[in-house]
Formats: sequence, C-alpha cells, structure tokens
Amino acid sequence: MQDKVKATKMHEWHMSNGANMGNFGNYDMPLWYPKGAKEEHLSVVTAAGLFDTSHMAAVTVTGEHAFDLLQLCFSKDLNSCIGKSKTPIEIGKCVYGVFLDEEGGVIDDAIVYKLETNIYMIVVNAAMGGTIAATLESKKENNIVMIEDLTDKLGKMDVQGPNSAKILSKIIKNPEKVFESFGYFNFKGHHNDASMLSDDVRLLDGTPILLSRTGYTGEFGFEIFVDENKTLELWEKIIEAGAEFDLVPCGLASRDSLRAGAVLPLSHQDIGSWPFSNNPWHFALPYNVTISDFTKDFVGASALKNIKDRKYTYPFAGFDLRKIATENSKVLDESGNEIGTVLTCATDMAIGRSDGKIYSITSPDKPEMKIKGLCCGFVQINTLTKSGQTIYLSDGKRKLKVEIRSDVRPDRTARKRIKDMI
Amino acid sequence: MKEINELVLPEDYKYTAEHEWVKKDGDTLQIGITDYAQDQLGDIVFVEFPEIGDSFDKDETFGTLESVKAVSDLFLPVGGEIVEINEALEDEPELLNSDPNGAWIVKIKPSDESEFDSLMSKEAYLNQLKG
Repeated sequence: MQDKVKATKMHEWHMSNGANMGNFGNYDMPLWYPKGAKEEHLSVVTAAGLFDTSHMAAVTVTGEHAFDLLQLCFSKDLNSCIGKSKTPIEIGKCVYGVFLDEEGGVIDDAIVYKLETNIYMIVVNAAMGGTIAATLESKKENNIVMIEDLTDKLGKMDVQGPNSAKILSKIIKNPEKVFESFGYFNFKGHHNDASMLSDDVRLLDGTPILLSRTGYTGEFGFEIFVDENKTLELWEKIIEAGAEFDLVPCGLASRDSLRAGAVLPLSHQDIGSWPFSNNPWHFALPYNVTISDFTKDFVGASALKNIKDRKYTYPFAGFDLRKIATENSKVLDESGNEIGTVLTCATDMAIGRSDGKIYSITSPDKPEMKIKGLCCGFVQINTLTKSGQTIYLSDGKRKLKVEIRSDVRPDRTARKRIKDMI
Repeated sequence: MKEINELVLPEDYKYTAEHEWVKKDGDTLQIGITDYAQDQLGDIVFVEFPEIGDSFDKDETFGTLESVKAVSDLFLPVGGEIVEINEALEDEPELLNSDPNGAWIVKIKPSDESEFDSLMSKEAYLNQLKG
C-alpha cells in the first residue's frame, strides 16, 4: 500500500512560486520553477541555487559503542579517513560512504558527521531513515548505542554555487570568523541549541544552524540543517539575501543534471542492490594505500572481495545534448554487441565540446564556442574498458554515440579554497 | 505548474490527445505542441526534425522533442507530406516554451483533409485535460 504523499515545510512556497512538482521518495517535490531547469543548472555553475532537501533523512547514533557500530556497518574506516594522511574522523568533519548488505549491495549512500564524542549523525536519502535505523538496530547486539530516526524532524536545504558563502555572509553572525577557514567536507555549528557546537554558527536572529561544506552539485556550497520549524523562514531569508547574487530556487531536475556532470551517483539508480565495486566511487571503500585490501572489516566486505559476476560502472559523456530514456536501454560496443545498460542519462547544460575536449561555461581556457550542453551519466557494462572508449546508447529508437570518461564537467568549484569564494 | 484555466489555447486550432495542435495555413497544416505540453515537459532543448519531402501516416512518429524531463516522440496528427520545418527551432528550441502557439514545428500537405476535421476542438481538449 502506498503511503500518503508527504510535503516539506516549503511545499506551499514551491506551489505559490509556480514550481512543477513531482513525486520523489514519496515526497511532492519541485522539479523546476518557472525559469526552467536549464536556467537553474547554469545558475548553480555561475552564481548560486537553493534546493529544498528536507525530504532527506537523518539518523543519529549515540553512545559508547556508536563508533564501533558505524565501523561495522558503514563503508568508510572512521579511524583512517580524513585527508591525504588518513587520520581518524574528528568533530567538525564528515565523510561520504555507503551502507552495504551482506552481499555487498548498497542499502543507501550517506554522509556521516561526527557531532560530539560518541555522537554521530548519518544523512541518507528520502525515505531511507527508517531503513538505515533498522539496519543499525539489527547489528547493535548488546552494545550501548541509541539510534534515533530524525525523518521529518529536521529541516534541510542546500545553497550551492560560487556565490553561496557571500549570500550566507549576509544572514549569519560573525561571517568572517565562520568563513575564515572552512574546508570541503567540514562542518560548523549545530541545529540544536543544546549542542556545544551551536554557538559556532547562528543566524542573525540567533537560530543555530549546522553548516556543512558539502553538496550534490559538484559546485562550491553548503548543506544547511536547521530546526524543522525554522526551515521555511531560513529558506525565505536565503532567497532574499541571494537576490543580489543571482541565486535562484532549484528543483530536482537541475539537481540531477548537475550531479550527473559532477560524476556523483544517485542511490538506487547508479548504485544499488548489486555489489558496490568497479565503479567511480571506490573512495567510499576503506582501501589501504596500495588499494590491495581493506583497512577494516565491515558488513559487505567479504562479498566485495569475492565477486564472481563482475560488472563495471563508468561515467560517459556524449557529443551533443541528446539523451535517451534509460528504461529498456542498451549499451552497444563499436561492433554492435550488447554489453550493458544505461543507469543515468541526463544533460549537463553547462558544458560543450571544442575539438573533442569538454569545456564548461566557466572554464578559464574556454575557446570561442557556443555551449549548448552534453548528455552524460553512467553505464554499467560487462567488460573492463578505458576512458576515451566509444560506446553507443540505444533505447530501441535512437542510437547515440558517447564516450567513456573519467570525469565530465571540468572546472567545478566544490573544492575551491574558501578564501577565494568570499 | 500552470492551472488549466491559465493555459492559452487558441479557439481556431485543433488538438490531439498527444497534446499537439494543428492550425490551417492556406493549403498546408502547421503542427505544434500545446501550452500544456510545454509546461509539463519543461525546457525544450532540442528538436529532431524529419526531412522535407518525407511522408507519414496519421499518428506516425515524425520527430522527437528533447526536454529536461524526457525524450518525447512527436506524432503526426494528420497524415501527409512534410513541406517545411521550422528552422528557427534548431537554434532556439526554447521558442516552444515561450511561444507554444506561434512556434510551429512542421508544415504538412495533408493527404486526407477529413483527418483534420476529426481532431478535437479546444473545448474537447480542455475536457480531456480536466479528466
């Protein structure tokens, strides 16, 4: 039986601002606003966009054995995951990884935040809070851990794009201090007044927020967590403060095209019930320096070490913006043999090719050219191949020539130094 | 998202269940997509045209529209021969969003006029949209 479709705190705002709505994870969410998904996509690459992501779920894990439980269930080795020197996770840092089942298939992907000693927050996809909480419950045995599913109890929105910090500077206290140093996959503040971190980032009216330098667009920006009752107010504040920085509200369509160009997977589409292996996201696994073994044991690890039926997931980019429907799609090699399926096919509107090379509208070395967009996404094929290999995507009617890539949209801003962004 | 009463649907056009419109233009027919279709599809970013001189039966696929949401087939509402394509849409497919009733996609010479007469009126199309 289908549950009643849910709405976020911004639902009425989306409707009164003319959004085209669609169901995602059983939430009625904006697909795009009247300016259109193309404009939204380009705005995030050149200026800023605001996404309602309060349909995403969070789970907190608290207690003496919280760390051990995460070490068992989560793919990242929390003892060895920060920076090049692989130091342990610490308060103010977060990491991306996956929760696997015993067969090595993905239950969901997640970002794990260390909020305090023995307190972690796991941010997962829409409707997955209950599943991840139950997975953790089933593995905790007699350990002292409290698991709380915060689904629909926490407000969340993402400000993404090069102007994000300039916009937030207008609405938070002490912006100079907050943005003095702020690395990728770091966070500051806390949405709950009771936390010792909550004084680190407050809105001008005193509301505490958790500001995380992460996102799902490949561009510079932040994910923001706030008390659910303050969500709409914060949303409107950011829209207002963002006007002079060309911020636009963005829907799920541009979110999908931006993340595809940034080579980020959509859970349950690009990663899913099959073994999490031979894909562009092996950094989510606890590999040692030589990538010969894992540095810890965890649920799904032995399955990943013993895969029999290997499949390979690769990013691709096309030669123009045409795409194909992924349902019933096939991947063909140059001789026409069927070698796999298409997982994602979207159009990154901010890129184009000149002499075969891909440039973004923001590429500093971009030649004189008209950028109309390129189709891109992920394929899963049954053979090992190399970047640059030509393949064909077919949906039965259309056949598109595309190229296996190691990366798609160049010159993304996600990892830029904060001091260059304020 | 446009409410049904916000849709602009000219009285003298004919409409199809596939959300296309047909307008008489001398002895040819113009084919386009409705305001409802463009609103549902979102940004239209590419139009794949047939060749001038191609002939199609009624309801046969004659091209595709690429929007941010999907790749959609275009069906010829009246059988006939393609006599002109709207080349302006090659560079500016977004005209289908900004001016859906002006931006025709192809002009055809119909092989059977009665197929035009049997298409839906604005009122019938609106009733279909209201479901």
